[in-house]
Amino acid sequence: MARMKFICDAERCIECNGCATACKNEHEVPWGVNRRRLVTINDGVPGERSISVACMHCTDAPCMAVCPVDCFYRTEDSIVLHDKDLCIGCGYCFYACPFGAPQFPQAGAFGLRGKMDKCTFCAGGPEENHSVEEFRKYGRNRIAEGKLPACAEMCSTKALIAGDSAVIAKIYKTRVTTRGKGEALWGWKMAYGGSEKVSDNLGGKA
Amino acid sequence: MRTFFIAAAALALAACHEIPQDAQKPYAGKEDTKAYAGDMFKGDKMAYEKALDQRAQYQNDYAPFREAGKSQ
Repeated sequence: MARMKFICDAERCIECNGCATACKNEHEVPWGVNRRRLVTINDGVPGERSISVACMHCTDAPCMAVCPVDCFYRTEDSIVLHDKDLCIGCGYCFYACPFGAPQFPQAGAFGLRGKMDKCTFCAGGPEENHSVEEFRKYGRNRIAEGKLPACAEMCSTKALIAGDSAVIAKIYKTRVTTRGKGEALWGWKMAYGGSEKVSDNLGGKA
Repeated sequence: MRTFFIAAAALALAACHEIPQDAQKPYAGKEDTKAYAGDMFKGDKMAYEKALDQRAQYQNDYAPFREAGKSQ
């Protein structure tokens, strides 16, 4: 059984927003809804890093746990999807999600909130595959066409990789070992800078 | 003694499975059609998974077919 995931390689992301644009174009996502976005850490400072963030299709999804109407489900490929016909737009999933993935279109006047919208891993939703209804509610179903998400396939530097976790982990591992950083890539220093010792860093415990 | 070993083996092997991590909440929405159910794969799950795995290799700069200069 495949377990579909995204990996974003911060060493390669050039903050071009190609992924966000590809997503918007592929699914005709309305104004104000961003299924995918770029996050830059230490923006403007030498050594800044950017990553592309969307729904991470968590194995233990908090959105699924808090939904009061149980509109979330997981496909055979571990893609977390939801039924928009059931969603009441309460926003609990937005508060639960650590990635800010759930988006809410402004449905009318007075800030009225519409039904939740999020990244579908280009797998559509609970409607007939490739139907007009599926496209209108969830966007295009590329997975049923044997394709991977548009954001990853459009990434010019191949910073964003999508697919079965076992396959993409292998691709990423080959990449980092070829890059030559080896063991150094996995330490505290690589992730947060400063000393290798956790105890030397702010908030670190000995 | 034999019973003890059988019980110990059963206990040891009990850890060798994946426990579902999310609360077993029922899904109340509509049933989704399988991704491989359409005209493309005609219900062939193996072909579907193979197609996606092959497609994923296009993201691999160091794939053997790239090194060989082939277009696969």
